[in-house]
Amino acid sequence: MNAPYRLLSPTDRVHFWSAFARRGIPGALTLLLTALMTMPLFASFPLMPHFALLGVFVWATLQSELMPPWLAFLIGLAADLLLGLPLGVNATLLPMVAIFVRIFQATYGRHRYGFDWALAALVILAFEAMGWQLLAFAGTHGPFAPLLIQVLTTILAYPAVVWLCARLQRGIAEAL
Amino acid sequence: MDWTPQSRRSSNARREQNLALISAVVSGVVITVALVLLFLSRADPVLGARARGTALDIVTPIWSGIRAPFDWLGEVGGAVGAYIGTVPRNHELTAELAVAHRELETQARVIAENTALKRLLKVVEPRAGLVAVARIAGSSTGSYARTAMVSAGRDDGVVPGQPVRADAGLIGRTVETGNHAARILLLTDPNSRVPVTIVRTGQPALAVGANGRLLEIRDRLGADAALQVGDRLVTSGSGGVYGPQIPVAVIVDARAEPPLAEPYANPAGLSHVAIFAPYLPVPEIADPGIAANAVPVPREAGRRTAKARKPAGTPALAPASRGAATAPASTPPAAVPPAALRPATAPTP
Repeated sequence: MNAPYRLLSPTDRVHFWSAFARRGIPGALTLLLTALMTMPLFASFPLMPHFALLGVFVWATLQSELMPPWLAFLIGLAADLLLGLPLGVNATLLPMVAIFVRIFQATYGRHRYGFDWALAALVILAFEAMGWQLLAFAGTHGPFAPLLIQVLTTILAYPAVVWLCARLQRGIAEAL
Repeated sequence: MDWTPQSRRSSNARREQNLALISAVVSGVVITVALVLLFLSRADPVLGARARGTALDIVTPIWSGIRAPFDWLGEVGGAVGAYIGTVPRNHELTAELAVAHRELETQARVIAENTALKRLLKVVEPRAGLVAVARIAGSSTGSYARTAMVSAGRDDGVVPGQPVRADAGLIGRTVETGNHAARILLLTDPNSRVPVTIVRTGQPALAVGANGRLLEIRDRLGADAALQVGDRLVTSGSGGVYGPQIPVAVIVDARAEPPLAEPYANPAGLSHVAIFAPYLPVPEIADPGIAANAVPVPREAGRRTAKARKPAGTPALAPASRGAATAPASTPPAAVPPAALRPATAPTP
């Protein structure tokens, strides 16, 4: 639809704006997933999957145009604020994940679900290891072993997030 | 409805090239900004305190609301459970009560004796003032940090650096505050260090979080007495944040290096926690650069600190009497001891 805005009928204008809103959905959903990480769940070990990372990774694989690095940066900032981490830990790593997925897909093309899952597992492990290093840089020194539990739960939560994002994307595509 | 003419292939390609270039530049800028933020937060850990407070204010009420029905269901479940197995529980409790009564008599005698002795020695003990009782509304235990969010903030008098406890024992301390919400650093966070006393031996030590279930006991001072499983750890009161004698943890693995202890209070089953005023007011720090970061210092306080530092040039925490004794005769003895040395006044209850 390339007509000037003034020439659009009211229905078309609604479509015009809803198309904008639609582009915001990956970011909004990932923000919601980030807020989900603050659930009042006190486990002995870091059991909560890193939903922000999964959101960024999955949207970058499904719709890399709608998860640009700057959006991943904003989500990372929100994650740092919400989780009480030094500013810049997730804000550095999440855009790097988005850029990595972008370059990877541009170079090697798209892949099957199982391959993406394996790739996600590697990305998650690298993410946690680098996050651990960045935290040590910012002054929080802790053991790495408990984080492996989070790596595991995050890998296991991957299919659920893919299901959610794919379903949402299909539903919105059908509705409009 | 297609008004623009079909663009030609070459201009399309150029446009794509430009877009790719712009997006690469933006990505680079974004990563740079993030790294700069990381450097800044290394230099200044309280960076973005206001933004953090606002984030807490936004998320906490949502979880409070979501959590309420589950708490209610839990209460109903607890009430039902209390009816089942009442008789054996009653027998157990009666037996325990008999023992407890005997111990209470001993304790009453010890308390009376202790009070009398303290009165003789004129020991001044600051009282711990309750600031707020708040609902636990959120957590970040699935991460590198282990914190809890509670539904009380600056409006309720909560500021960073206040101890938080439950019935069973110490939970942690407040680190960030919003208007209606605060974040608590739990004992198990790698950044948490609590000065404790081992009750059996009287040794001071530090209980350090390890991002897991158990605490590590480090920096044990004094005689090399071996710890035993079941040794109780209580706060020692040094440092001034946590008052003395708050139960912290019990040793579960004495052989490990460092020894491991399990906290008495677990935030998992709790719905509410109590936030107290710090045991002793935090002393003013001599270096104004550090103090200026944390709280706005009134002008008078700054001037007094400067005056106190100038004449003697002694370290800020040296006792006043020694400072006066060793100072040359030309220096008049300070009429008012420096702020850091004045006897701590009791916080308002």
